[in-house]
Amino acid sequence: MIQLEQVKKIFPQTTVPAVDEITFSINKGNICVFVGPSGCGKTTILRMINRLVEPTSGNIYIDGENILHVNSDELRRRIGYVIQQVGLLPHRTIEQNVGLVPRLLKWPEARIKARVMELLEVVGLDPSETAWKYPYQLSGGQMQRVGVARALAADPPIMLMDEPFGAVDPIVRGRLQDEFLRLQQEVKKTICFVTHDINEALKMGDYIVVMNKGKLVQKGTPMELLSEPANDFVKDLIGDDRGVKLLDLTRAESLMMVPESYPVARDCPCFIDAIQPVKMALEVMMKNDSDVVGVRRGDKVIGTLSWTEIKKHIHRISGD
Amino acid sequence: MEVIRDVFLFIFNNSNRILEYTVNHLSLVLTVLAFSLVLWISVGLIISKYDRFATSVIGLANILFVIPSISLFGLFVTIPQLGLGRKSAALALILYAMMPLVRNVYRGLKSVDKSVIDAGRGMGMSTTQILYQIQIPMAWPVVFAGIRVAVVMITGMATVATFIGERNIGRLIHHGITRGNAEMIIAGALVVSLIALFLDYLMGLLEKRVTSPGLRHSSENY
Repeated sequence: MIQLEQVKKIFPQTTVPAVDEITFSINKGNICVFVGPSGCGKTTILRMINRLVEPTSGNIYIDGENILHVNSDELRRRIGYVIQQVGLLPHRTIEQNVGLVPRLLKWPEARIKARVMELLEVVGLDPSETAWKYPYQLSGGQMQRVGVARALAADPPIMLMDEPFGAVDPIVRGRLQDEFLRLQQEVKKTICFVTHDINEALKMGDYIVVMNKGKLVQKGTPMELLSEPANDFVKDLIGDDRGVKLLDLTRAESLMMVPESYPVARDCPCFIDAIQPVKMALEVMMKNDSDVVGVRRGDKVIGTLSWTEIKKHIHRISGD
Repeated sequence: MEVIRDVFLFIFNNSNRILEYTVNHLSLVLTVLAFSLVLWISVGLIISKYDRFATSVIGLANILFVIPSISLFGLFVTIPQLGLGRKSAALALILYAMMPLVRNVYRGLKSVDKSVIDAGRGMGMSTTQILYQIQIPMAWPVVFAGIRVAVVMITGMATVATFIGERNIGRLIHHGITRGNAEMIIAGALVVSLIALFLDYLMGLLEKRVTSPGLRHSSENY
């Protein structure tokens, strides 16, 4: 668990705090996304957690231990760090780049080799093809993958990710996000994730911290942010398509009609899974030119979801 | 064609003398190079750590570099402890080597991509580890560019040391001028060029060994 207590940072030769008395905590195994415009202090918070930036006042605890009392180099070796520019060492092979932290920790060479091969596989790169290459021989997307592998190398419980997928095109970014979420299901790291892209935040975050001008504006789950934005700043950040975005986070089962519509359900021209987002239901409806879809759990039809219900739902949320 | 034949004839007929001069020339250049590398690379490292000295140190190197070599050689000869010969010659040449070496070491270290250093720190590398494992290896292409300039420059400038008693290829050129002997001048220039090319080639080989293949493709930009 990571806890921040009244953390404040004023950079030298400035008067306005870059981060102003921020307090919150991140639970083990969660992805917490910091989102906000550039200069809002989100990166500074991240860099304070691994002490690349020292707070002016306040305290930061990791599993109850005050990080200011730990040797900063040793602290950083226990925290995975991924940045937008990736920062691969261009003069080292991919194998050496990924094995960097294990080597700092003086792991036996055979264990490092095995770990690197395993990790390249995990992030979707062919180890025998990639390990001996130099960074300039890789594409942007491959470099980002290596960056993630490098951060995971020593199996740190915490990962700090500063716009880790920011430098690649939208298609690759989407794929990397999906793969990373799948990976997170297995590794269950505690992750601090910085982005300026609200869609990425909604997609990746278990929790979202919205920042503006060094201040914490709102924290909550993506659902909470979408359904109850704290103020106009958050509303603007989310955009005018708040209702539609919410459909992406709402499971079909939560809006479906049961059980009096059973007869209708069986006659539905199309079906979706109960746990699929409502957005998917819309897609299926449009494809089949239907106003209603059946909702299934496994093979069993458990309800229907109609266009009218969805409309009502959107209206409820975005109707100010 | 006649001239070329005469030049080779001259070299052939005076091979012993030319060999002696060449050995002297090389030994001066290599002595200077050895001292310069140790001294100026250290200075480069120091000013990249203590940035506030950088401007003045590089400024000093630039000033030294523009002093006409013949006057610097002459000046050192008047200092009793140095006098005529190798000491003065070596010292002057070491000072000339300061500019390309210090400047390129400093530039090389400073040109290292900030995000790479940031990633290194973020992964828990100490300042020393960052210097030896990131900054220095990444600076090699720029540092070597400086070393190669210095080598070629020292080789050429060493000829002027003939005026303060060095018996090197410069003497061939100097005598050629005073006697109006074109073959002698050309032969001298030819041998000096060959020495410079040879040393540059050696440095190229060394550079290839030292510089990571991962940087080689980008080193073409410098």
